[in-house]
Order: sequence, then structure tokens, then C-alpha cells
Amino acid sequence: MATTPIPLEARDIKKRFGSHEVLKGLSLEAHKGDVITLIGASGSGKSTFLRCMNLLEQPDEGELIVHNEPIHFRATKHGREPADWKQVERLRAKLSMVFQNFNLWSHMTLLENVIEAPVHVLKKPRKQAIDEARALLDRVGLLERADYYPTQMSGGQQQRGAIARALAMDPEVMLFDEPTSALDPELVGDVLKVMRGLADEGRTMILVTHEIAFARDVSSQVIYLHQGVIEESGTPAEVLDNPRSERLRQFLAPKH
Amino acid sequence: MDQLNAWFTQLLAGNAIFTANTLGFYWNGLVTTVQLVFLCLLLGILLAIPLAIGRGSKRWWIKWPIYAYTYVFRGTPLLIQLYLVYYGVVFFNGIQDTIFWEVFKDAFYPALIAFTLNTAAYTTEIFRGAIKNTAKGEIEAARAYGMSKGLMMRRIILPSAFRRALPAYGNEVIFMLHASAVASVVTIMDLTGAAYYVYARFYAPFPAFIFVALIYLCLTFSIMFVFRRLEKRLLAHLRPRGA
Repeated sequence: MATTPIPLEARDIKKRFGSHEVLKGLSLEAHKGDVITLIGASGSGKSTFLRCMNLLEQPDEGELIVHNEPIHFRATKHGREPADWKQVERLRAKLSMVFQNFNLWSHMTLLENVIEAPVHVLKKPRKQAIDEARALLDRVGLLERADYYPTQMSGGQQQRGAIARALAMDPEVMLFDEPTSALDPELVGDVLKVMRGLADEGRTMILVTHEIAFARDVSSQVIYLHQGVIEESGTPAEVLDNPRSERLRQFLAPKH
Repeated sequence: MDQLNAWFTQLLAGNAIFTANTLGFYWNGLVTTVQLVFLCLLLGILLAIPLAIGRGSKRWWIKWPIYAYTYVFRGTPLLIQLYLVYYGVVFFNGIQDTIFWEVFKDAFYPALIAFTLNTAAYTTEIFRGAIKNTAKGEIEAARAYGMSKGLMMRRIILPSAFRRALPAYGNEVIFMLHASAVASVVTIMDLTGAAYYVYARFYAPFPAFIFVALIYLCLTFSIMFVFRRLEKRLLAHLRPRGA
């Protein structure tokens, strides 16, 4: 293929929980270096949409294409499921996720957390994985915490550690699911600083967040979701500074 | 060795019960008890790991038989299970002619089988609970990083579940040591069997049973010590740093 592959494409994603349709046909295209931010009120479907992208949630309809490779589905009694879980596992390894609650593996030290998937999923030599992990921990300012267990670190440290774990996969796309929502306000800054650095170096990122100022700063595209539909989409200047709909204007209005 | 012998002889002089001969009985009983308990725990754990995983299966034909098994073996006395295995096998016609008879005619093996099935049932439930309590977020992270089900079980769920199960499993080990005393009723010369022999021979219940109780106490404390150490090492991630 002559053109560079598109890291992640979602086409017309639909998702129901019971009779409630939470995603009503959402599409998104993440090109290399894009930073796409999903905003919206809670319950708008932004986290569900993000979780559909690496199939932590199964979309009922729609296509997912990772690095130009479409994910295959097959019909089942209840709808559909991935036809080939090996393919899903392979493609998930290209899409690192950073979670709201960090989700570091609690029985492993920080360093063990960072090398776990590179060694056992990507089959990297352990020695090389450790060297790379130490460099990444240094980058997020946690090298001296390498031997700490997750419960021995603050939320902000755990989240920066989780970002190092994500980076260790050298992912095509990084998915951030409200990475600062569970943090004390004074710890948010350090995490955002690390994420800004990633955006600056051209990482492809898809981000669910409530940090509007940060979204304005780093995003190449902002998508506003309302009740499972993309209500507005465009550059930060278009969406955040000149919202067209009354709903988005209200959403962006300073709360007191 | 001679010196040791002389020391013992002197220590035991004027004592009719604890002669080198009876101490030999206790020693053999100790060896039998430790062998029996160690082997049944080892086999029990090997059985319990796959059973605990299967117990959480979505398929009813895997899940329910395992549940029925643990329910029955936890719901009936160990002594009855031992009787059933020990006296029950001879009712399989013709077993005396097969090689299995070589195994079953010695009381040790029926006891080992009964104990193994019993401890495996309890251990399965202990592991099952620990597996079920694995943090959902950690499982999600494992899936998100491309782990297959088998890899996730091996690297994330089981290591974390074993650690959580450790204190409860330590209790099960001590329980099994104490429960192994019932082996003596099917003619096995374990610690309790040796104590019973000494009691019967000298008609001295207190010395015979207090002595054996002390040996059981020492064994219990050794087990507790080992598990304390294991917990200190393996549960480090639950304590504040440096504590």
C-alpha cells in the first residue's frame, strides 16, 4: 500500500446495553500524530466509545480498522463477537490503554508492571525490556520508584507509571480513559505534563477527559458527544471556542 | 553418635515409658504423619488449581460437578470419607487381582486418597474465592495489553490469587495436620497411632498423649513460621514501604 496506514479507524460504531442504545453510530479516524479528545457529559457514551476501540466493550455494529487491518466479527445468538481472538489480542497490543483507576497489577513492582506485556505479549528479551522500562520510568520521573508496589505510590505516581507501562508497548495509538479523574487536584498537573510531552513528540492519542483547558492545548480534533451521537467535531478553535449548539455552550460554561 | 546415645540413655534412666524403643515409635509416627500430610497437601494443590479455575467456568457441565464434589467433601466428616475409601475399595469385585491391590492393601494409600480428596475440596474453594476477588481493573488491563486468557491466568490472576489465598491456605495446612490424626483408626502408625500404642502398652494416657500433643504443637508452630515468612515475602505489596 502506497499511503501510510491509518493507525485507527472506527466506522459507524453502535452499542446497546439491554434496550438502551448508548452509541448510535459513531465514526472516528485517527491519523498518525493526531490527538483526538472526546468530551461530553457523563452518560454521553465517550468512555464506552473509547472502550469499543480495543474491544473491552463489544460494539454491536460498525467496523474497527487498526493499522489498515479490519477486525473480523462473526454472528452469534446474541449479536456478534470477534471471529478471531488471536487477531484481537495482536491488535490490542498496538493500542495501549491508560485507565481512570490506573489498574496497575498490584502484585508486581512498578518495573515489573512496565516490562510485563513487552516480555510476555511482545516476546521482547527481558534484559532489553528492563533497559527500556528504566528509560521510560526516568522520563515520567519515577525511576527511583521502580521497586515500589502500586499501593505504595500516590495516585499521580501510579498514573504516570501506568503511562510508562503503556509507552513500553510502543503503541500505534494510546487510549486515555479519563486519566486524571481519579486524582487529587494537586496531582493532576504532573500527569498532564507527561501527556503533553507525548502529544508534542507526535504520539497518536485518543483521550476522554474533563480537562477542557488541556484539550484545547493539545488536541488536533475535539469531538463532543451527546447521548451517543457526535454533536460537534472539529479543531479546538471550532468546537471549544465557537460552539454551535446551545447544549455544548452550556457544557463548556464555567460551573460554580 | 555413641555420645548421643549415651546422653539419651542417661536422660531416660529411671523412666519406664520413654525408652529408646518407644521414642523410636514416636519417631516413625512423626515420619508417617509428615509424609502423609505433605503428600496429600501436594496432590491436593495440584488438583485444586485446575478445579478452582474450572469452578469459575461459564459452562455448567464443568462448574456444577466441581461444585458438587467440593460440597460433598466439605459437608461430610473426614473420618467417614476415610472409612469409605479404606473399607469401600474391597467391594469392587476382583480388585484383589489387579495391580491396584498392591496399593490398596496398605492402609497408607487409602488414607492418602481420602485426605487428598478432602483437602483438595477445601483448597479449591479457597482458591476459587481468591480468583473471584481479582480486581476487575487488573483483568481489564491484562486484556487491553493483548494477553490471551491463558497468559492472563498464569501471569496476573493466579499469582495475585495465590497471594490472597495464602493466609486461608495456611489454616488449611494446619487443619490437615490435625485432621491426619484420624489415620490412626485404620491401623496407620502415625503420630497418634504411636501415642495410642504407648498408652495401651503402659496404660499411661497422660504421658503418652501429652508428649504427642507437644510434637503436634511443634509441627503447628513450624508451619505457622513458614507461612509467616511466606506472607512477609509475598504480601509485601499490601504493606506500606519499609514496614
